[in-house]
Amino acid sequence: MTTLATRRQAGPGGSTTSRPARPGTSSVGRPGFAWALPATIFFALFALVPLAAVAVLSFTSWSGLGDPEFVGLENWETLIADPVMLKSLWLSLLFIVLGVVTQTPLSILLGVWAAGHQRNRAVLSAIYFIPLLLSSAAISVLWRALLDPNFGLPGQLPWLFGDGNLLGTQAGAIGVLIFVGMWQFTPFHTLIYQGAAKGIPPVLYQAASIDGAGMMRQFFSITLPQLRNTAITSIILMVVGGLTTFETVLILTNGGPGTDTTITAFYMYQEAFQSFDFGVGSAIALVLVVVATLISLVVVKVSGYDKMNSSLEGL
Amino acid sequence: MNNRTWMSRSLAGTAVMMLGLTLAGCGGGGGDASSRPENELHVAVYGDASNKVEEAMVAKFNETSDVKVVLDTIPGADYQTKLQTIIDTDSAPDVFFNWGGGSIANFVKADLLLPLDDFIEEDPQLKDAFLPSVFETAQIDGKSYGVPMRGTQPVMLFNNSEVLKQAGIDAPPATWDELLEDVEKLKAAGVTPIALGGADQWPTQMWFQYVFDRVAGESLFQAALDGDTEVWDSEESREALGKLRELIDAGAFGTNFDSVKFTDGGSPTLLSSGRAGFELMGSWAYATHLDANPEFAENVLSYSEFPEIEGGKGDPHNLAGNTNNFYSVHKDTRYPEEAAEFLKLMYSDEFVQEQIAIGNLPTTTNTEEFLDEASNPEYAKYQFDLVKNAPHFQLSWDQAYPPEATVTIHTAVSQFFSGQIDEDGFIKAMQSL
Repeated sequence: MTTLATRRQAGPGGSTTSRPARPGTSSVGRPGFAWALPATIFFALFALVPLAAVAVLSFTSWSGLGDPEFVGLENWETLIADPVMLKSLWLSLLFIVLGVVTQTPLSILLGVWAAGHQRNRAVLSAIYFIPLLLSSAAISVLWRALLDPNFGLPGQLPWLFGDGNLLGTQAGAIGVLIFVGMWQFTPFHTLIYQGAAKGIPPVLYQAASIDGAGMMRQFFSITLPQLRNTAITSIILMVVGGLTTFETVLILTNGGPGTDTTITAFYMYQEAFQSFDFGVGSAIALVLVVVATLISLVVVKVSGYDKMNSSLEGL
Repeated sequence: MNNRTWMSRSLAGTAVMMLGLTLAGCGGGGGDASSRPENELHVAVYGDASNKVEEAMVAKFNETSDVKVVLDTIPGADYQTKLQTIIDTDSAPDVFFNWGGGSIANFVKADLLLPLDDFIEEDPQLKDAFLPSVFETAQIDGKSYGVPMRGTQPVMLFNNSEVLKQAGIDAPPATWDELLEDVEKLKAAGVTPIALGGADQWPTQMWFQYVFDRVAGESLFQAALDGDTEVWDSEESREALGKLRELIDAGAFGTNFDSVKFTDGGSPTLLSSGRAGFELMGSWAYATHLDANPEFAENVLSYSEFPEIEGGKGDPHNLAGNTNNFYSVHKDTRYPEEAAEFLKLMYSDEFVQEQIAIGNLPTTTNTEEFLDEASNPEYAKYQFDLVKNAPHFQLSWDQAYPPEATVTIHTAVSQFFSGQIDEDGFIKAMQSL
């Protein structure tokens, strides 16, 4: 639920309403504040209010029984001194970087390919998109069974997997989570890139052809630059998705071995709903909110996304 | 005032107002009896295959009672979370399933449970009809808070008798040294000596429960539970950890146990397919095997008590595991009399027979009379005698401690097994509880 909600907020749609009209364009007929009212009310009710409640809870000690008891900064002091918390932040960062690095090239290539006119393209694209239709829980259970060291793939391919202790080592467990994340989310980002690639005006390619540019040159000089905004959107979604990854960790590794895949979102769940320490859990949730916001801001600033008004680069 | 400031101000105002409401809502806590549904007694149970007996009991009770029992089944994995979330609200159940011990300690502390001593005074059978070692699990500070329901689940050392025979092992190990010898023989025979679902973590914990009990007796864990964390650093504690390390280093569990689960059928299949010799598991393992591979469960699967450790203080007949499940009663229930009547069904002949028919082993004193009706009378009698004769029945560590300790315990036991932490690391982790 968190994942979906956060993704929706992170989408580019949210910021369009407050952006001032471009000079020279008439503001007549553009949506006003009233248009945003329903979404704003829902956002306030289901995002801002809970966020404020979480902020208050982070200064209390509460097990879900009785009333929350105000404890000042105690939860925050616990978190700062907690080695697992620090480790979980590094792990989350690692998951984000690895996720972006593995998913972006693959989904750009697939997306651009799927936007073309090749034979069988529609059929193959449909097959590629199947993982998108499965729930994270189903995907995790599926891969968990496929990767059983004795009765799954590793048991059949000992030359590749050794003793099959994939989920029992940190590198193996992280590798599995990144791979499953890639398998699960690449179709989604492929879809975004496909849509964007289809929107690139054919006239650009025609002009390039006349100038003698080959396919590779066209890809690097036209397609990639034109996909810049899409890439930023897609990467922000990956970053936020990576920060809030939860089901796959819960089902595939349960944060293990030890705490080696306990990423921040999973640690928040552990503290709040397994250890029933809603105070510390809320504090971790706030850290997540702050980190996600900071990362999004940095991506937007660095990429110059905030200065672009046209969705088509250079046109 | 332009649009933007107006919007942010009004948003902030709304947020503050809503926050006040939310807090008022969650701070409200439990109400009194009058805010609960009329003529309904809500019974919350752990949702699984055992529910059909509970449904039958409820139907029987409802035949004669004006206050109708409503059975609320909560899917197993979410049970404790859901319970803790609703227990202090108006939607709390009147009667609810639990594991005794640490699973209800916080509720007792928060004054949410009804001591059952008055009920027992009126009907002593509510206590005397159950085996004492089991009934004690739900006693806190000298008061009784739970009546046993469902069955007892001691942990035993299961084995694949054919694999043992092929490795030249005639009988299950009676002592720790014999276990170590068997490990060598099984390794020589090319199988994993002991199957372990390490990814589930609680199966790893079972080894600690038994080795600590055999080496130090039940008093060490009890002292730790009572708050004396120094005992984790005692000589006996270190000796127990040394024994475990010895077994792990001997290769008893193979190398990939951290990727294997019991719950998805991984480790039980290792045992039933002849790729492992032993597995330490709760009594439900029989039902698991019967479900997956009936031929194996009936003819090849065998079982024994956890071996004795020479020179250890613990009685070799001590048990560990889930002593039983219990029904506890919420203090705010509108119908305490009816709740008491409902609890009396838990020692009825009909209840015992129904439980035995689905493979559970109740812990009433009259259970013995019906053991012949079990699907495997030999297994049922063996277990019942173990429980009846056990000087002490250690509740699983993660259930003896309150739920907030579970993550720490599970992480510590699995990190010790995988070698991520040593004796000192384990002691430090347990002392943090």
